[in-house]
Amino acid sequence: MGSRYSYAKAESALDSRASPARSVIPPAAPGANCAPARILFAMSNSMIICKDVSKSYQRGGETLSVLDHLDLEMEAGRFYALMGPSGSGKTTLLNLIGGLDRPDSGEVTVAGAPLSKLGSGPLASWRAANVGFVFQGFNLIPVLSAFENVRLPLTLTPLSKAERKKHAELALSIVGMSDRMDHRPSQLSGGQEQRVAIARAIASDPKVLLCDEPTGDLDRESADQVMDLLVRLGKEFGKTILMVTHDPAAAARAERIVHLDKGKLGHIESNVGA
Amino acid sequence: MDFLTLTRRNLWRHPLRTTLTCGAIAMAVFLVCTLRSLVTTLDNSAVASRNERLWVQSAVSLFVSLPQSYQAKIEAIDGVDLVCKWQWFGGIYIEPKNFFGQFAVDPEKALSLYPELTVTEGSKEAFLGSRQMVLVGQGLVDRFGWKLGDKVPIMGTIFPHPDGADTPWEFEIAAIYQSSKPNVDNQMFLFHWDYFAETVETASGTAPDVGTYVVRTHPASDQSAIMREIDTMFENGPQRVQATTESEFQAQFVSMYGNVGFFVSAIGGAVLLAILLAALNTMLMSAREQTRDVGILKALGFSDGRLFAYMLGQSFALCLVGGAIGVSLALLLEKGISKAFAAMLPNYAVIPQTIVLAVGITFVIGLLAGILPALRARAILPVTALSDR
Amino acid sequence: MWIPFSYALRGLWQRKSTTFLAVFGLGTVVAILAGVLALQQGFEKLYSEHGRADLFVFLRPGATGEGDSSFPLVKAQTLIKSVPEIATDDKGRPLASMECYLAVRRFKVEGGETNVPIRGVQETTFDLRGPDVTIQEGRRFKPGADEVIVGRSLLGRIRNCQLGATIWINTTPFQVVGVLDSEGPFASEIWGDFNRMADALHREDPNRVIAQLQPGVDAKAFALKMETHPEVPAKVQTEREYLSSQTRALSSTLKVLAAMLGAIMGIAAVFTATNTMLSALAARTREVGTLLSIGFRPIAVFLSFLIESLLLGLLGGIVGCLLVLPIDGIRTGTMNFDTFTEVAFAFRITPEVLISAVSFALLLGLLGGAWPAWRACRLLPTEALRRR
Repeated sequence: MGSRYSYAKAESALDSRASPARSVIPPAAPGANCAPARILFAMSNSMIICKDVSKSYQRGGETLSVLDHLDLEMEAGRFYALMGPSGSGKTTLLNLIGGLDRPDSGEVTVAGAPLSKLGSGPLASWRAANVGFVFQGFNLIPVLSAFENVRLPLTLTPLSKAERKKHAELALSIVGMSDRMDHRPSQLSGGQEQRVAIARAIASDPKVLLCDEPTGDLDRESADQVMDLLVRLGKEFGKTILMVTHDPAAAARAERIVHLDKGKLGHIESNVGA
Repeated sequence: MDFLTLTRRNLWRHPLRTTLTCGAIAMAVFLVCTLRSLVTTLDNSAVASRNERLWVQSAVSLFVSLPQSYQAKIEAIDGVDLVCKWQWFGGIYIEPKNFFGQFAVDPEKALSLYPELTVTEGSKEAFLGSRQMVLVGQGLVDRFGWKLGDKVPIMGTIFPHPDGADTPWEFEIAAIYQSSKPNVDNQMFLFHWDYFAETVETASGTAPDVGTYVVRTHPASDQSAIMREIDTMFENGPQRVQATTESEFQAQFVSMYGNVGFFVSAIGGAVLLAILLAALNTMLMSAREQTRDVGILKALGFSDGRLFAYMLGQSFALCLVGGAIGVSLALLLEKGISKAFAAMLPNYAVIPQTIVLAVGITFVIGLLAGILPALRARAILPVTALSDR
Repeated sequence: MWIPFSYALRGLWQRKSTTFLAVFGLGTVVAILAGVLALQQGFEKLYSEHGRADLFVFLRPGATGEGDSSFPLVKAQTLIKSVPEIATDDKGRPLASMECYLAVRRFKVEGGETNVPIRGVQETTFDLRGPDVTIQEGRRFKPGADEVIVGRSLLGRIRNCQLGATIWINTTPFQVVGVLDSEGPFASEIWGDFNRMADALHREDPNRVIAQLQPGVDAKAFALKMETHPEVPAKVQTEREYLSSQTRALSSTLKVLAAMLGAIMGIAAVFTATNTMLSALAARTREVGTLLSIGFRPIAVFLSFLIESLLLGLLGGIVGCLLVLPIDGIRTGTMNFDTFTEVAFAFRITPEVLISAVSFALLLGLLGGAWPAWRACRLLPTEALRRR
């Protein structure tokens, strides 16, 4: 990870001195708590570490165990697909890794930050700096245009107004949506919406992309486009990608396929073709 | 910046709903401004800035007059500068609803007694020149479209015309005045005592008594001592009198209306409660629809505090726009309302304090309506918010 | 086929918090209107309900009230003696009484001044009034004595009204010897002997004459005859008519106030109701699509939504009535613009008030529901079903 905006090479027009996004977004994990994790991170090259993670929900008076003492490590810069039957805990795991939810026990460490140590405020800042989300339902803000949606997370950075505009435009150009910048989500097709959502996820240059069934609502052709994009983001820009999917075709594009079953880790396949 | 856009667009997501809510808030704020202005106008009319005028009236009843002989006796008191007869005429101009005060006065003394009256059209000399001449307030000119030289017929109800109760008294407008103080009525109709007295004497055979003597004291004199002296002078009759300062008399007159302030406050309170419920309802509906957006924003890394402020901001925006419309409406309609209430409550005005109050109220409504959705937006877990359908 | 009523009811129930807020908002608006009307009713009924239809008031022709009416003493005496239609008691004395009346300046206990009606009456007055005017405490004034009785409502509000106190009328001191009780406006008055009052006030002429008529006399014809009586012309009304005429200014002011508040807040309330029903529609768009696609006619959908809105209005009306109910009976005082005196009375939640309140609430519901109902019935089934 350099100190430069990692898409700088994608467009020469971008002034690299004016956009040190990596260095201006402070690592959210504060204090000495994080130091050992950082060392660990530096040595092991693990981007995501789940240690003894459990999570259960109450439903209709019954306790439903979703994740059961799960241990998992994922390397930086790799593309992981997370597969498993419905209810196997895929989305829950993704949400825990993204800091959208908290485990009942165990520790999730992402990009060197032990998430359980972060309060809700620091956790939010950490999310802004380190992870980007891509959802099945796209989750664009309906009242904002494509461009405004992509620019939204950049308001959390100390970038100037002009830089935010530049970064947002660049992110949109990477996903090939430059010509639809001013359209509202309702004026876009599903595939286009998802590409805007990906642009939003990468706009502030996070290390980790978390995708929950990104192709679930899309037709084959759009799904392929989205998968091409994700693969490129991994290869070209070094993103660590974790993608929950049901779709074997999508999973086949990942470097590693992690199988979950009933809240426990199954086996991990290495995908030689990817 | 983007949050402002977001606020604006989200409020505009349901243009009809937002417009209706703003409209409802505007109506309520307008009503509160107007009701409050009625009270302040009433109160203001009782606050006199000049204090050297005393009103001498019967101690028994406002419907009882004093002998004409009292004038010379009061004038003789040390410290009394000027005594002017001031007689309520109580006539009807065309129909009873055109109510306004007509007074038979000593014309020259009246003008000297009330320097607040500035003659803007016609002249003092024209008014003094002939006995059927009247000096009228700008308020009446605005109400009835009068102009200089107009003949104004007034039916005498208490004092019928000598030619019969169906014959009106005739007056001619010689001058128009503008009042420079809110406590001096700009809707008075002042005419010559001599014309009044002679006509009444022709009709009834006896000279009329005097309703009120307005007295001016020397600036250096002790007013309370003079009031005491006047009261004592007529203690043994034939008609006891009560001297009060002008401001006190006006305050008492206002207090006769009963507890207007309380009624108005009660109504205003209920109006605000109703509108608070309406604003709250809209905010809750709007917040429900945005639950998913809240989840997205949190996933993007926006903090709980930021979302709290965002939700509260929406409520403030909604209420302040409504409030601004309401206040503007109250200001725009000030003239019209002033005209509508002219007979009962002259000098109706919306004072700056009322506007400040209205803005304050709007803020409080915005806060109360927005706090619940804002707290919810702050507390909700991103996953919970994202799973909202 | 019609959509069952329970569908509308369920619609309101499903969205409890919205319904609750809307109903209370409407209720508050209705309560404001009802409160002002209750004030108006309390005031008006004080006069109209306690004026007698068999007692007649004689005023100077052209006079609007006893304040500006006056009969020369001799004429009044002639009237009482010579008009044959006036009833007589068993001793042959006419059942009529002269009264003098003046609104006098009095100080309020809480500070400030007000006008209190003072009435000089003759002995016969008490015979004419019978049980309508009673002595609650103390005794009646003695004829010819400088004594007065004070209305119950004045106690505690006007200074020097307690038993044994002295009331000065111009230069004459009067002793308070009794407390007068009456359901009508007399409870806000001070009564004394006619001759003594006339003397103290320097006005020997009575303001009016009250009398009972012989049985069988046609009141209308009599009034007409008296208007042009050659010797003693008079304006004759029943006491009920007379008292009702003394409430017009304040009554109409209060009605105008109620109408003004009702109109302005009504607009706000209609806006709120519309919002509520629009959100109800938004929440049930799919349902409406289903109803339309399985063959319910648009008019049925329209009526169903309108009924739901009317129900909302009705609930608001009921809540408004419940909110305003506690003020029933609360005593208050205000200036009667017609007599320029202060009268005490209680808020009255009469059936008229409740009916007006509920009708107003239903109107708000109707107006608020019309547009959303129209939108609902104009939905295309296919489009409605597609929406999430």
